[in-house]
Amino acid sequence: MAPGTASGAALPLTTDDMCPVCKTIRYLNKDMEFLINPECYHSMCSNCVNRLFNDGPNQCPYAGCNRTLRRKGFRSAFFGDLIVEREVDIRRRVAAVFNQAEDDFETLRDYNNYLQMVEDLTFDLVSGTEGKRHAAEAQLQQWEAEHKADIERNRKAGREADEQARRRLTAEREAARQRRIEAIKEAEDEKLERARSREAELDTLAQAPEGQRVQLKRRGQTSRAGGAAVSAVETAVNTAVATADVGRLSIRGLKEKRKAPMPEGPYDPFGGSDFVPSRYKISEGLAHPQIEKYRFDQQHITGGYSFDGYTARAMFEAFAGLGVFIEDEKEVGIGMSTGQVATIGAGIATVGDRMELD
Amino acid sequence: MEFNIDDLPVLFPYPRIYPEQYAYMVDLKKTLDAGGHCVLEMPSGTGKTVTLLSLIVAYQQYYPEHRKLIYCSRTMSEIEKALVELKALMKFRAQRLGHEEEFRGLGLTSRKNLCLHPSVKREKSGSVVDARCRSLTAGFVKEKKEKGEDVDICVYHDNLDVLEPHNLVPNGVWTLDGLLRYGEQHKQCPYFTARRMMQFCNVIIYSYHYLLDPKISERVSKDLSKDCIVVFDEAHNIDNVCIESLSTDITEDSLRKATRGAQHLETKISEMQASDQKKLQDEYEKLVEGLRGADESRQEDAFMANPALPDDLLKEAIPGNIRRAEHFVAFLRRFIEYLKTRMKVRQVISETPPSFLAHLKEYTFIEKKPLRFCAERLTSLVRTLELTNIEDYQPLQEVATFATLVATYEKGFLLILEPYESDTAEVPNPVLHFTCLDAAIAIKPVFDRFSSVVITSGTISPLEMYPKMLGFNTVVQESYSMTLARRSFLPMIVTRGSDQASISTSFQVRNEPSVVRNYGNLLTEFARITPDGMVVFFPSYLYMESIISMWQGMGILDEVWKYKLILVETPDAQETSLALETYRTACCNGRGAVLLCVARGKVSEGIDFDHQYGRTVLCIGVPFQYTESRILKARLEFLRETYRIRENDFLSFDAMRHAAQCLGRVLRGKDDYGLMVLADRRFQKKRVQLPKWINQALLDTDTNLSTDMAVSSARRFLKSMAQPFRAKDQEGVSVWSMEDLRTHQAKMADDQIKELQAQRDLEMGNTLAAQANDARRLAERPDSDYEMDDDDEAEMMALDAN
Repeated sequence: MAPGTASGAALPLTTDDMCPVCKTIRYLNKDMEFLINPECYHSMCSNCVNRLFNDGPNQCPYAGCNRTLRRKGFRSAFFGDLIVEREVDIRRRVAAVFNQAEDDFETLRDYNNYLQMVEDLTFDLVSGTEGKRHAAEAQLQQWEAEHKADIERNRKAGREADEQARRRLTAEREAARQRRIEAIKEAEDEKLERARSREAELDTLAQAPEGQRVQLKRRGQTSRAGGAAVSAVETAVNTAVATADVGRLSIRGLKEKRKAPMPEGPYDPFGGSDFVPSRYKISEGLAHPQIEKYRFDQQHITGGYSFDGYTARAMFEAFAGLGVFIEDEKEVGIGMSTGQVATIGAGIATVGDRMELD
Repeated sequence: MEFNIDDLPVLFPYPRIYPEQYAYMVDLKKTLDAGGHCVLEMPSGTGKTVTLLSLIVAYQQYYPEHRKLIYCSRTMSEIEKALVELKALMKFRAQRLGHEEEFRGLGLTSRKNLCLHPSVKREKSGSVVDARCRSLTAGFVKEKKEKGEDVDICVYHDNLDVLEPHNLVPNGVWTLDGLLRYGEQHKQCPYFTARRMMQFCNVIIYSYHYLLDPKISERVSKDLSKDCIVVFDEAHNIDNVCIESLSTDITEDSLRKATRGAQHLETKISEMQASDQKKLQDEYEKLVEGLRGADESRQEDAFMANPALPDDLLKEAIPGNIRRAEHFVAFLRRFIEYLKTRMKVRQVISETPPSFLAHLKEYTFIEKKPLRFCAERLTSLVRTLELTNIEDYQPLQEVATFATLVATYEKGFLLILEPYESDTAEVPNPVLHFTCLDAAIAIKPVFDRFSSVVITSGTISPLEMYPKMLGFNTVVQESYSMTLARRSFLPMIVTRGSDQASISTSFQVRNEPSVVRNYGNLLTEFARITPDGMVVFFPSYLYMESIISMWQGMGILDEVWKYKLILVETPDAQETSLALETYRTACCNGRGAVLLCVARGKVSEGIDFDHQYGRTVLCIGVPFQYTESRILKARLEFLRETYRIRENDFLSFDAMRHAAQCLGRVLRGKDDYGLMVLADRRFQKKRVQLPKWINQALLDTDTNLSTDMAVSSARRFLKSMAQPFRAKDQEGVSVWSMEDLRTHQAKMADDQIKELQAQRDLEMGNTLAAQANDARRLAERPDSDYEMDDDDEAEMMALDAN
């Protein structure tokens, strides 16, 4: 609604029986229909509308209302109370912009506050003073500008949800109809069956040789074989409902809370494995007279290579392979693709990484 | 008398006991021990209430858990009767045990029946009494009084606050009358005494509604503990009670009143905004926080409770868009306006709640969620505004209740809009029925909450129908027959008139002159031979009226008039009670009377025609429901789809339970006698659906009679009944003294021992045989060890396996 459209004056309630413009009463015109124009919500009968607005835009015939109306804008009101009619029109506009759903919010409280904000705004638009209405209008436009993408997305989602609900409803109705038909058919079948068995009984009686007693089945003993048919129908119906349900989103409830990311540590190329040997310990200052002489020998020293590294490596090589069993790995590897073997190997490796390191 | 069932000592306040009473007690105890639900059918007039009470009280007092008993009955007079029985029982117990037990038994009924306030109690309508009482007893009224404002309060209610809250009345059993008298003496309110003492008493006796109607049970029965024993007596109609408690009808008039209520609220809010902003702000803040003090929502003076069931009670905060009072009122107005618009439609509409909600949302932008909180929000608002003339808001409350229910339940409910009262009506009078189709919804919390629920009645056949409809499992499901020393009632099915033309009230033939004349002849004949009172039941008021006018034209009523006075039940309660009064006088003086009434009317349930008040009950036609009703059709469809109960099965079950109720009216004890005549061709097939005790007494020869045959066998029966009958003749057969009971118990024990022995012998025999087998095999082994081939071996193994 453009700012200041609705007049501040109280809107008149329609009397359902007399047109306030031409004073025709329902007694004279049985199918009198009242129309309103959302510009000012003044109601008049369709004859008046035709009479006044057929030749293009004209002024509203109500005294004191000098709004210009067009014929195109007239429609019949859904509600009897035009105040509510107008309120709902405003709500339609507001709802198109403020269309966030519960799952857009992290806490219920936020959602409720949002709902109240919208309601306050709507209230200002509906029954606020001039100033409040302007403010609300401005807020509405601002929100629309700010949340354009969200609004579009929610509109789409809403439409989809509606569509799904409708589809589900029709599917259910169809299923119910099916079941009803089935039940009627079942009852008819049963009646037929009963008639047939009766006939058969009479036939046996008629055809039985004279003087011989005929054992008849007692009524109610004919077994009911309806169960299988019923279950078949049921499964059919269920699948129908299920297919209708496919792709149905369950979007109820709040949005999941966004978690703050964990603080990132320094990069670890080994992925957390440490290289401290577990089976032995290299003590500080380990010396062996045979190699000690090379420690300061220029010929054996290169840049970036610690002399202690040699002992460490020697120890590593000595212990490497303890605790790894070739048989196991072979066994695991039979009949597998290389990829699988690799993953299994990796698994074993992670299990026994300490051993391997030794 | 005093006896033991297993280890439980039972004190029974009479010197003699009926065999079926004993059997009933045994089964009841079994149920209580096992901790589950049961359905029990015991013939009317065999002392069901006293049996129940004496066993359960004994159970309560003997075992250390002291499980509380909640006894639900249907009408106020039945509640009072049960209380009197209980009182007598407790007196007997005190005599026998030599001391008064720590025991308190209370009955609860509506404010209207328990009010003592001099002006309020003079009000005629129950809802007015409720509203006025609330306006005198609400919490804020008292606060105002304390602040020194001049407001009316109820002295009787306020005096309660002076007393110890857990000891408002002394121990003992309080009948409703007794409680009123006590209240008058001590100037305390009997209603609130009973309400507040409910947690502290051993036996509570009240109406179904306090437990089944979620609007009430939420407030009244919330604090009852889980191990209570719940008994629904006269429960043959329990499914209808469940359904009614969740259904609402909305008319144009109620919507108009609701609009007015909403306008009142609006002005009140603006007044309060001008004068006392703080209160509204407080309420608002509370709603923002989602606080809903448990105490607050269940205050005994609360305006209304949430109609949704306790399980569905929403733990969330009220949605933001109805938090503010003015927002909420606008919301309500929009909803009411929408309903008004819907009511303008001139064709019948039936739709499910989801489709209603979808339409609602499209046109008014009302979401499901705030709608669901409607009832609660309204209660909170009414409390905040401190409204005193609550009866003005009743229609608004109905609308809010409807809103909450329609938004809470997707399944099991249906909205039906009927624009015209009947098919031929010209002037529209639209009614929006919001009907519950599933009886299980209302009763489910009861079954979930309480470990033992007993459903019992005189006529509750077929027993398996009830667990199916109400969605529960039973531990014991039993129907007892009536032990009789002589054949004291004669059920008959009359299918033909004296001219051999079949009689039936089925729709096609009900107005044919031959059928009407045959029914008339039947009535005349039985009026001639019946001594004293005679009751006739018709399937509906409509049919009764038409058939009576036809009888008048045929001169049949004049004929009946020679033998008996003719009285007719009408839908008006006062006229009916006058007719009943006259009927009773006529039965006590001279020729007696014929009472023409309707099988679903007031007379058919709850009014006894014992002894001379009813010697013949004549059931004209099968009392089917009006099957063209859209509500019934919807329910039938629901039953078929959900519980796989077929339409015809349910209709015939429903008709037969009402017929059985009618028949049961006439026989109210073992020394009573009477004729039960079922006059319709269709009863022949429905015989199996009668309660066991009636069906057993119905001989095969009596199932297909013509009028003259029925009359002659009725004559014979009445002649035999006229023979002197001494109480002594019943001894040991239909009435047991202590010795008989002991013999029976000994016999039962014997039987049990024998059974056990037989079982053991069987087992022993098996083992012996097996041993013999083994022995034989062992004996055979040495020489046949090598010759044994595979077949033999397989056989052996099979034997061993056995």
